[in-house]
Amino acid sequence: MGSKDLSMVSLALTLVLLLIPLLFNYFLGLGIGKKSLIAVLRMCVQLFLIGYFLGYIFDLNNSWLNFLWLFVMIIVSTISIVNSCSLKFKVFLWPILISVALPVILMCLYFNRFIVRLDNIFDAKYLIAIGGMILGNMLSGNIVGLNHFFNNVRKMEKKYLAVLALGADRKEALLPHVRESILAAVNPTIASTATIGLVSLPGMMTGQILGGASPVVAVKYQMAIMIAIFITRILSIYIALYLTQQTAFDAYDVLRKEIFKDK
Amino acid sequence: MIELRQVSLTYNHNYLFRGLDFTINSGAKILLNAASGTGKTSFFRLLLGFIQPIEGEVLYDGIKLSAETVKQIRRKIGYLSQDIDMPWGKVGEVVNQIFCYRYNKSLHADHQKLFELIDFLELGKDVLEKNVEELSGGERQRLLLIILLLLDREVYLLDEPTSALDENLKMKVRDLFLSHSATVLVISHDKVWIDSKNLTVLNWTENAGWKDGQ
Repeated sequence: MGSKDLSMVSLALTLVLLLIPLLFNYFLGLGIGKKSLIAVLRMCVQLFLIGYFLGYIFDLNNSWLNFLWLFVMIIVSTISIVNSCSLKFKVFLWPILISVALPVILMCLYFNRFIVRLDNIFDAKYLIAIGGMILGNMLSGNIVGLNHFFNNVRKMEKKYLAVLALGADRKEALLPHVRESILAAVNPTIASTATIGLVSLPGMMTGQILGGASPVVAVKYQMAIMIAIFITRILSIYIALYLTQQTAFDAYDVLRKEIFKDK
Repeated sequence: MIELRQVSLTYNHNYLFRGLDFTINSGAKILLNAASGTGKTSFFRLLLGFIQPIEGEVLYDGIKLSAETVKQIRRKIGYLSQDIDMPWGKVGEVVNQIFCYRYNKSLHADHQKLFELIDFLELGKDVLEKNVEELSGGERQRLLLIILLLLDREVYLLDEPTSALDENLKMKVRDLFLSHSATVLVISHDKVWIDSKNLTVLNWTENAGWKDGQ
């Protein structure tokens, strides 16, 4: 079983399709020619490297190595979140690392132990594949949520301070912003959960079906992963907001301007 | 009593004032008079601990304003900002929410006084059913002033509190605060405040900061 391999000729035939966006680029003056070619090139190189590397890791299937690789993925996600936010790297590295690592590790262990009931919960195929899916989703949730929160608090700082002066503590004064940014982080997940199967066949399901699993098995996994994604997304953004708040405000409960990349 | 001891404040590395040294007695009613851009609003923000002086200290009843005391001191203050910043939502719920804030829990919302003040400042009973964000500037100004009075603070910092009100209401608001036992500091360009006999006017002078004008 398993999907049919794609030959080099097949891949070349996919690349030919790139002519279509390049034509759009030429006639509409989109100015994305160079950018998209570099993106595609990067994707090819990264995926080939990771393909060989993962093949190696899957063959070895050493628990420590698997866990180490999960941790590398966690660090890359963290860096990518901090870089996509308007926040200073040094100040937010630790809070965001914790907010990413904690939910994904706990969820992977729960998933592998209680849902899939694996003998080895650090099995490469499951740990890395499930962890990767969760991380990818967490990444976008945290970027949306954190940007939402800090941009809003900054934009509406006078209102926040006025509420402090009205007798609120920091938590109370920030609650409307916390609510809004958690919603910004999880609303897309709720929407995609509600339309899944009707509008989109998700990547994991497609992959399993191509890999030879029966659609029913694929569906069961998809259900489990959707719930795992929803939960880790809400957990992660909550922890991220909680921890970043500790460093983002000074002893007078005023937002520290120096946490932002641009002053 | 509010004391300022050799307080200097800067904004973008320029001094707004330097070595400010004076005392405001409890119950004093003071109008800060200065041209725009001289840092009157910053002065209020300083008194609230939202910005810190680069030198000197501010004391409330002998207690130094610091990270440890700021929360306790903010509870004494009622602040109306120039843009009338306040929580959004349905007015009735906003009022309840404010009285549920951590540092207001010991207070109780006096509903009778609320209705009296709504009536006195001509807001109309249905104001509680409206949304804060739908109110006009003048309505919001009166609403927040009412809330501040209900919170029964010891010090009121009012930044242009009557700018959006008509003559009759300006006088009503002025009289409410001038007859109050609290210390009241007002920034205003309105004649009703400037002409009042019961206010001490502090004039801004370039080098010395605030000076007694009368």
